[in-house]
Amino acid sequence: MSRLNSTRELEHLREQLREQRRNITTTVMVCGGTGCQASRSQTVIDAVRDELSRQGLDTKVRLCVTGCHGFCEQGPVIIIEPGNIFYCHATPEDAFEIVYQTVMRGEVIERLLYTDPVSGEKIKTESEIPFYRAQDRQILSQNLMVDPCSIEDYIVGGGYSALTRALNGMAPDKIIKEIKASGLRGRGGGGFPTGHKWSECKEAPGDEKYVICNADEGDPGAYMDRCVLEGNPHLILEGMMIGAWAVGSRKGYIYVRNEYPLAVEHSRIAVKQARELGLLGDNILGSSFSFDVDIARGGGAFVCGESTALMASVEGKVGEPRAKDVHTVIDGLYHKPTVLNNVETWANIPGLILKGSSWFTSKGTRGSKGTKILALTGHIKNTGLVEVAMGMPIHQVVFDIGGGAVNGNPIKAVQIGGPSGGCLPLDKFDLPIDFDVLSEAGSMVGSGGMVVMDGRTCMVDVAKYFLTFLQDESCGKCVPCRLGIDRMLEIITEITEGRGKPEQLDLLEELADTVSQTALCGLGKTAPNPVLTTLRYFRAEYEAHINEKKCPAGVCKALITYWIDPDKCTGCGVCVQGCVYEAITGSKKQVHVIDTQLCQKCGICRSECKFDAVQTVWKERHQDVAICQS
Amino acid sequence: MLQYVKVNIDGAIIRAIRGTSVLHTALEYGICIPHLCHVPYLSDIGACRLCIAEHMVNGHSNVTTSCTLNVEEGMVIMTNTDKIRKLRRNLAELLVAQAPNSRAIQDIAVRCGVKEVRYPFRNGDCVLCGRCVRACNELWRAKAKGFVGRGKERHVDYPFGARPDFCKQCGACIQLCPMTIPPCDGPMKPGEERLCGQCESQLMTNEQAPGGCVWCKLGEGFGCGRYVGSQAR
Repeated sequence: MSRLNSTRELEHLREQLREQRRNITTTVMVCGGTGCQASRSQTVIDAVRDELSRQGLDTKVRLCVTGCHGFCEQGPVIIIEPGNIFYCHATPEDAFEIVYQTVMRGEVIERLLYTDPVSGEKIKTESEIPFYRAQDRQILSQNLMVDPCSIEDYIVGGGYSALTRALNGMAPDKIIKEIKASGLRGRGGGGFPTGHKWSECKEAPGDEKYVICNADEGDPGAYMDRCVLEGNPHLILEGMMIGAWAVGSRKGYIYVRNEYPLAVEHSRIAVKQARELGLLGDNILGSSFSFDVDIARGGGAFVCGESTALMASVEGKVGEPRAKDVHTVIDGLYHKPTVLNNVETWANIPGLILKGSSWFTSKGTRGSKGTKILALTGHIKNTGLVEVAMGMPIHQVVFDIGGGAVNGNPIKAVQIGGPSGGCLPLDKFDLPIDFDVLSEAGSMVGSGGMVVMDGRTCMVDVAKYFLTFLQDESCGKCVPCRLGIDRMLEIITEITEGRGKPEQLDLLEELADTVSQTALCGLGKTAPNPVLTTLRYFRAEYEAHINEKKCPAGVCKALITYWIDPDKCTGCGVCVQGCVYEAITGSKKQVHVIDTQLCQKCGICRSECKFDAVQTVWKERHQDVAICQS
Repeated sequence: MLQYVKVNIDGAIIRAIRGTSVLHTALEYGICIPHLCHVPYLSDIGACRLCIAEHMVNGHSNVTTSCTLNVEEGMVIMTNTDKIRKLRRNLAELLVAQAPNSRAIQDIAVRCGVKEVRYPFRNGDCVLCGRCVRACNELWRAKAKGFVGRGKERHVDYPFGARPDFCKQCGACIQLCPMTIPPCDGPMKPGEERLCGQCESQLMTNEQAPGGCVWCKLGEGFGCGRYVGSQAR
């Protein structure tokens, strides 16, 4: 394809491509995102492609290898249009049937349909699946129709028309006014109003300005940025172009972590394709606007998601934050005014420009507008990426979309916002997904990670887990973050090992407060959140650990012993085979016994036992039991 | 030409040179803000966080380090409120628990009002204030040492762990290091760490540390910016 020199040429190309695709009757969309690749979707893609060429359907049927569909647990996922037929857990052996029955005859293969775990019914189309039904997929739905490696797909679907509208009819001030009116807030965690950021950068003195896309996503269990960037990189590029036009920048960077190879590759291809078409470079579409994007790869440090550390890393320096008394919109990358936005924020821009701020404000709450992608994981039936309108109550996300508890244990808490977020108990589940409401409750929307936890989770252990993560990822520059997190972890470890003292809870609270107020960067300021929220909502668990030396959930190894209930044990022998330490003895059909000297408390026997006979007991009770048995 | 701005620090209206930090202005004027990583002739990184102050913006108070905050016209700064004193005490407590074997760190803890340390002592020998690294990089442009590692593993080291030729052993790093002054009765033995708080610390007899500089002997110990500045003159 040749370089496009005007908007008319882009529209002409769009028409041409649509004409070429007119005789395509069926589209088979196979997910090629990282989640489905892990379930070997590449073999399915190859098998379907072979099968289509064998049947001579290459010209009529389009095989589209798309980005993530969100329902990664069911991968590899295939959607067939027309009909919106949804197949899950597909294997290469199914390729023949899919092509022969569904593509050629329009028949549905029952076996591959999704089974609703709540009702047990087979569901035929994607839109009827409860997981998708309650969502409002504005960004993720665009993943479905687009091959991330093909700019043609993006243009056919109406891509880059927001850019042409911005370049041809909207002065930078008008764009910023529109973004401000929409109330869009940063999706990376801070929730800072995007319009304000842009206008501050535009007003900042200096000719050279930068825009950066922050794709350094490091929260455990969250992957929405990866999914959007690797599934639809041109959407991000278009958003960045509009942002650059609005603030007057000529250079942009996508900072993506190297652990996301597919996202790096796809964004590189997208930049190359856009340059070839003249959508990046000098005088874009014949206008006076020039802009180019480079990919900067990150080494995987969590702290490099913080704006100043990220900019230091792009500059080639050590990724450490610096004091932000002068904001990065004035003194950012190379000490020039810089707009840094999260992937999801950039992804919202094209739709917002096309459909207008009134469309955007129609979704969401008073302070938080639009939709938010959440990464739903944990002890629930349906896990994956969900996109909901802001303001949806947490219980609706967990129970309607997530399908509720997975193994019968009642749900106890949800951890929102990654390691810097907080745990909310069940009685706070009527709170909406809203920046202000959640931060008032001690948690935050953050990047949107949602980890659901059931009754078998010890909240002290959860706090310990997140502190360990943050201690590893802290850069170590400032005292409160380096020493404060270390001391908090020390205290919590003592509590989980039964050496805690009651006065340590007050010390923990005071220390957490000190760290959150005095730390240098956002990582340190939010690091005590897991401790503060668990202390606030689950103080009884901490007190049980300290006063009674009990772990109510039966997780903290130092406080429990494993024990087989003789009334429940059937002597099936599964636990004997499962135990790697050979600590369980007992012959077939006889009650088994755990040797506490050999037992390493790994918990395999407890998860293997089908009769719930393996139980955890507190140490004292176990001694009583042992005395009774002897 | 020097430009001046008026700032309000602890109620005193001070004429300050534009482009200098709040900490510098306060020390020049004689207001004491405890600090460790700040050295007058080196850049400020805000690592020790001891020089925190409340910066009043539109009725909200932001806690920020005064060494990285530059003076602006009409700024209102509070350096000695109850909140700041408590935070500073907690920070000094963390520092002294990490490195009790230094007179400088002990003095700072005493100055910040630490009376008892609620954490087990660790006998560490570096608090990563970064004075040595900055002196080497900025004063002599030698870059013979830097920070290595992240988080708990962060430490100061030569490149690849070996002393390079371009280190001239000038000793600037040693002179600025707060760990080089041992406490009066020698390094503490493990298990016997304590803060006596008796040396020269008339300050300890007062419940509240004074806000003004009294040229205390403590400042000499930890290389207070006012001392170092007056020596440099």
